Amino acid sequence: MAALTVAMPVAGATMATSVAFVPKGCFSIVAAARMAPIKIKRRLSVVVKASPKEDIKDKIPEAIAEAQKTCEDDPTSAPCAVAWDNVEELTAEAAHQRDRNKANSDPLETYCADNPETDECRTYED
Amino acid sequence: MAAMACTSAASKTVFTPRLGSVKSVKSVRSVQLTSAFHGQSVARVSQVARFKSADVVSKGAGRRAVVVCKAADGKTVVIGLAADSGCGKSTFMRRLTSVFGGAASPPKGGNPDSNTLISDTTTVICLDDYHSLDRYGRKEAAVTALDPRANNFDLMYEQVKALKEGKSVEKPIYNHVTGLLDAPETIHPPKILVIEGLHPMYDERVRELLDFSIYLDISDDVKFAWKIQRDMAERGHSLESIKASIAARKPDFDAFIDPQKQYADVVIQVLPTQLIPDDNEGKVLRVRMVMKEGVPFFEPVYLFDEGSTISWIPCGRKLTCSYPGIKFFYGPDTYYGNEVSVLEMDGQFDKLDELIYVESHLSNISTKFYGEITQQMLKHADFPGSNNGTGLFQTICGLKIRGVYERILANQNNAATLESAKA
Repeated sequence: MAALTVAMPVAGATMATSVAFVPKGCFSIVAAARMAPIKIKRRLSVVVKASPKEDIKDKIPEAIAEAQKTCEDDPTSAPCAVAWDNVEELTAEAAHQRDRNKANSDPLETYCADNPETDECRTYED
Repeated sequence: MAAMACTSAASKTVFTPRLGSVKSVKSVRSVQLTSAFHGQSVARVSQVARFKSADVVSKGAGRRAVVVCKAADGKTVVIGLAADSGCGKSTFMRRLTSVFGGAASPPKGGNPDSNTLISDTTTVICLDDYHSLDRYGRKEAAVTALDPRANNFDLMYEQVKALKEGKSVEKPIYNHVTGLLDAPETIHPPKILVIEGLHPMYDERVRELLDFSIYLDISDDVKFAWKIQRDMAERGHSLESIKASIAARKPDFDAFIDPQKQYADVVIQVLPTQLIPDDNEGKVLRVRMVMKEGVPFFEPVYLFDEGSTISWIPCGRKLTCSYPGIKFFYGPDTYYGNEVSVLEMDGQFDKLDELIYVESHLSNISTKFYGEITQQMLKHADFPGSNNGTGLFQTICGLKIRGVYERILANQNNAATLESAKA
């Protein structure tokens, strides 16, 4: 379950410092969440700053190394298959992201996808 | 059935009075009769699901009102698409959604790592969302994602059934980046639901729900070539590691995924070309579309005449092609004990002319106008496979699916008007 921890410091009115702690398993959408510090006389709420979004490209070399290590002893064992399956999953996801980024690279296209009726986005077909 | 619900709902609210007034009938909640875009209206209609007869008979006039139910909403049509990862499923999806119109995009405002794609008419659900074990769970249990033990088929069946009946569901999300199962997202029943993944036809109950199913069967050599293209750019990957990855997954793949071929209505096989002797580049492909006979609402594509065997080389006097040219084959066959028709294309398209020439000689392609296939192929000329049989057959499959969908819909409409006429 996603849970944001918010520290409750002692009564005092100092500026809160950011606490970078987001438990594993949170929505990655949390990565974008930043709450402004609220200064209240007695109690203070603290800004929660999430850790940066994990980059899948960095995971791939680690996963490959791990798979190769697991398969050293027995290439036909189940853990070996699972390790390579992981690698496959990560590389597939990286490939999909690349495609998606390529597709979204033109800002005009992304704007027109949402607003086809605007003047910039009018198309004419003979 | 949503179609019946529509009829009964119609009988409660909208009525066409015959010859003058119908005394005020207590009109219940207003229900939208028009079609279900993502089931927002269907969801409401389904609440009215009990079929009540003639509530509409007005108190005084003694005349029955005629109800015309548009029944544009019907049961959702469910399509299954099976393939190993990295085998062109996402390209297929893009071609398919493009045939139906509109671009498919992830649901707005939801989890950015959602695997679902939604367009005006279609919703594509990735079956990875029904993993019962996340990446860490699978590591502990030592099962790959290909293994049925890592998937929750009960949930898959329940939710696909619910969507088919017109109810919204809360579908879990499998986050491919973190490897964890995220909080569920709401999916509304669309006109066409596509479930794509490793096991759409594995579970028998889910198989029963599918109106049409496709299996992408890529031969090992081609798979290897495609994976190299895809993965060599990644750091840490080498030829050996790609080979090892394919080899390690092969036993599970052969045991669990491959047998789904026999249940598919259409199998698209991608093999190395026979036109170039000793070709190992894997650029030119031989693609076979194996179509099952006797599938409701679906008639196989054919060349020249159904049931005959024909081998055709379009290049000659009318058309000049560059090396290695194009070769077609069509003929009946049996596949895992089923009667099938096979349409095969070997080679590559170089020019627009070739494409339109070939299109004009194919029959039963379910196009709405002459040149539709060519137009679709050109629209996505940057997609992989646009110059060979993979793109051609994926496009044809997309058009056939549209044909199946329209016939199922027409069938439902006929059934609905029949019911309302009887009532």
